[in-house]
Amino acid sequence: MRSILITGGNGGLGLGIARFFLTRDPDCKVWLGVRKNRDAAEQCASEFDGRCALIDLEVTSPEAWSAAIEKITTESGRLDVLVNNAGMHSDHLLAMMPAESWHGVISSNLDSVFHGCKAVTTTMMRQRFGRIINIASLSAIMPPLGQTNYAAAKAGVVALTRTLAKETARSGITVNVVLPGYVETEALGDMDEDARKQAKAGIPMRRFGKPEEVAAAVHFLASAEASYITGASLKIDGGIF
Amino acid sequence: MQGAELRKKIKEVIVDELMLEIEPSEIGDKAPIFGGDGLGLDSVDALQLVVALEKHFGLKIGNSTAAKGILESVETIASEIEKAA
Repeated sequence: MRSILITGGNGGLGLGIARFFLTRDPDCKVWLGVRKNRDAAEQCASEFDGRCALIDLEVTSPEAWSAAIEKITTESGRLDVLVNNAGMHSDHLLAMMPAESWHGVISSNLDSVFHGCKAVTTTMMRQRFGRIINIASLSAIMPPLGQTNYAAAKAGVVALTRTLAKETARSGITVNVVLPGYVETEALGDMDEDARKQAKAGIPMRRFGKPEEVAAAVHFLASAEASYITGASLKIDGGIF
Repeated sequence: MQGAELRKKIKEVIVDELMLEIEPSEIGDKAPIFGGDGLGLDSVDALQLVVALEKHFGLKIGNSTAAKGILESVETIASEIEKAA
């Protein structure tokens, strides 16, 4: 049975990815990394009884990562796929940005990916198989105003991905990154109707993406068939250039 | 496992895990594994070898300083495994 860990497991995108794996791969178990908020993740786990479980994971803590990977490999025997999806943003113009906003966003979006990749690499090397898919953002390459912290963190995730891909290429481990644009999740919750209309006007497809449209790409990159794809950055944004 | 049998097995692990296109018997017991006169391996291979030695022989190598000494040759690897046994 394939074992898959998805961080940010209570959010719309994390759950979208989880449901995509669970509905398409009968022979997989999904671990949803969660912190305090877990209602939606618990709902998902109850729908896929026995194939989906919650695991406590503060992604900025190396100790929490060690404990989580230990638990997963003890119970599932292996870890095939890591989806580093957890993250947050705290937008301010740089001149007004509190230092804690900078550090918090770098920590939750970039440090977390470092800790996660480090925690799973040895296990995946032993297996001589692993798939790491990092969720960055279109902001990494086309940052909007107010996201110096988030854009820098996500650009860091892209660079980390490309470097780690080289380091693990001979070990059967692929490392790729997806860059979603506007996706209908709670992350867009603070946009009012005018902002949504304006954003859609800048998207060639004239609509926001759905979580399952990102999930489909993640699912493919996690498959055995994607074995020669590593270090790739995949924009999923309705055609924004 | 020890002696010649151990050294033969270590060479097989090196060739297999690092996907080298040579025969295990081509590796001398005391020949350097890394460096200019070695097998043309790099730091990524060293990490892979550390993981492989733990997987196949239970040999835990704690840090890169220790790894440098232990991974010098098949002989040094074998001595470390025999010491730990």
